[in-house]
Amino acid sequence: MNPYWAGFGLGLVLLASFVIMGRGLGASGAFTTAVATTVHAIAPAHAEGNAFYAEYLGDGATSPLKDWLVFEVLGVFLGGFLSGALANRLKFTIEKGPRITNPRRLLLAAIGGALMGIGAKLALGCTSGQALTGGALLNLGSWAFMMCVFGGAYGLAWFLRRAWL
Amino acid sequence: MNAPFFKYALFGDEMSLVVAFVIGIGFGFFLERAGFGNARLLAAQFYFRDLRVLKVMFTAIITAMVGAYLLGRLGLLDLSLVYLTPTFLVPQIAGGLILGAGFIIGGYCPGTSCVSAATGRIDGMVYLAGMIGGLLGFAEVYPSIERFTKITAMGQITLARQFHLSYGFLVFAVVLMAFGAFVMAELAEKFIGGKEPGPGALLEPVRTFTPVRRFAVVLTGLGVVALFAGSPYRSALAQVDTKQLALDALRAADQVTADQLADWLVEGRNDYLLVDVRDAQSFAAYHIPGAVNLPLSGLNHDFAQRNERVVFYSDNAIHTAQAWFLIRSLGFPSVYILAGGLETWQEAVLYPRAPAAGAAPKDQIDFAKRMAVAKFFGGSARGATSEVANPVAPVLPKLAPPSPTAPAPDNAQPAKKKKKEGC
Repeated sequence: MNPYWAGFGLGLVLLASFVIMGRGLGASGAFTTAVATTVHAIAPAHAEGNAFYAEYLGDGATSPLKDWLVFEVLGVFLGGFLSGALANRLKFTIEKGPRITNPRRLLLAAIGGALMGIGAKLALGCTSGQALTGGALLNLGSWAFMMCVFGGAYGLAWFLRRAWL
Repeated sequence: MNAPFFKYALFGDEMSLVVAFVIGIGFGFFLERAGFGNARLLAAQFYFRDLRVLKVMFTAIITAMVGAYLLGRLGLLDLSLVYLTPTFLVPQIAGGLILGAGFIIGGYCPGTSCVSAATGRIDGMVYLAGMIGGLLGFAEVYPSIERFTKITAMGQITLARQFHLSYGFLVFAVVLMAFGAFVMAELAEKFIGGKEPGPGALLEPVRTFTPVRRFAVVLTGLGVVALFAGSPYRSALAQVDTKQLALDALRAADQVTADQLADWLVEGRNDYLLVDVRDAQSFAAYHIPGAVNLPLSGLNHDFAQRNERVVFYSDNAIHTAQAWFLIRSLGFPSVYILAGGLETWQEAVLYPRAPAAGAAPKDQIDFAKRMAVAKFFGGSARGATSEVANPVAPVLPKLAPPSPTAPAPDNAQPAKKKKKEGC
């Protein structure tokens, strides 16, 4: 799809979220809730003693997984799958540049994912919750964040050219 | 139209999860359609080969921004009720740089990795696993970095407020900036990436007006409108129908009696929010069960859901009335005052007076009922004859928070411990 039209569609989804829910989109928060819930199930005392987990566990009246972002992200998986299926793009494969081996690519993916988890929690959001949502609401912190995401990625791009080009 | 619908309680929490799922499907669909399930396409952004990330993100941002702006300006959407993530400048700059590094190393961001995993990309799945590892690690070190995550707190603040610019001007500026970026992106793809622009490209020398160009023109037009239209946030000045307010006040339609409130509490009703507007100290000493403490200074436009029934009380009639007016003027339709305040609550509910000997049987029965209620709230009845000079004041501040005999109607505490709303 033409990127401008895809962006327009994405913008309308975001606008619908503003109008219907009074909030924007998100992604990383759902994983934090899932992690907090899992840790709580395994080691309740540990999770409750940790201020970070406690924030995602709610008041205990309902399951923390009955959460807006958790359901939204489940929808993202389904929506992505549907779109991929309709366009014949479903395939078990590894996306990488021609000059990198599979194990190295997967190692980099895991490292990148870990950094993303840390960065998103420091910044109170990821590209969805901060850059897209906060960007559209002219949120001060979101714009500072967005510039830094591009800055960080462009700054390291040269060192990682073997992974992608 | 009263939007955001959810904040006006047009549907409940259960329904909001359905909405979440549907919105998520739309989000995932367009992410995949944009090509964001593919790490190579995403990474190409940072080598100027394919600036899809920039194009899609900025188109989405200006679409939603202009849309929200116009709906707000037309009074259809109360923008002050749309959640704005608070700004913590330094942690967000640090987080952004780390996230950017994660983006180029791993090839995805959280949302796009979901789509990539859902379409079978193994690197996307590994990336998600890595993210869970990162979250676990972050949680473990959180106690030692908690202070850092809270520095440079600036609250919920927009660029417009920070830089004292008109919101409309900023909307216009961002639209222009985005188009500038699109033009640069097309040029960069052509000259650095060595790629011919696609059929929809902005710079392609076409004679016809392609849909993308038409869309660009419309958006620019809307941006120009924004330039002159002013702020989309509803005026901070009170806009109230004074006559209606006066009528409500005259008819005492804005009051809840102590007995009524006691009944609600005993029944365990949870369709209202009970707010104590005294200071925290007095609140700690004694408060009506189920009440939340919000001093006058803490009352703002999103302290409760817009359509929620709110009951104010205090030991100060003026403060209660001020809270009532403040919140009515912010557009909350169902705001009530506990008639007589805490004093009447004590007199009528906690320490009801026994009727004189030989009173009508109806009064006797009534008193029995009152006594049960008083017990429920940890009070007791007073004899008909024991006339204390000032029976209320000295007794109450010492009263420990009551331990009701029946299950406490604690469900009247929606503000208790809200989960985070942000990403």
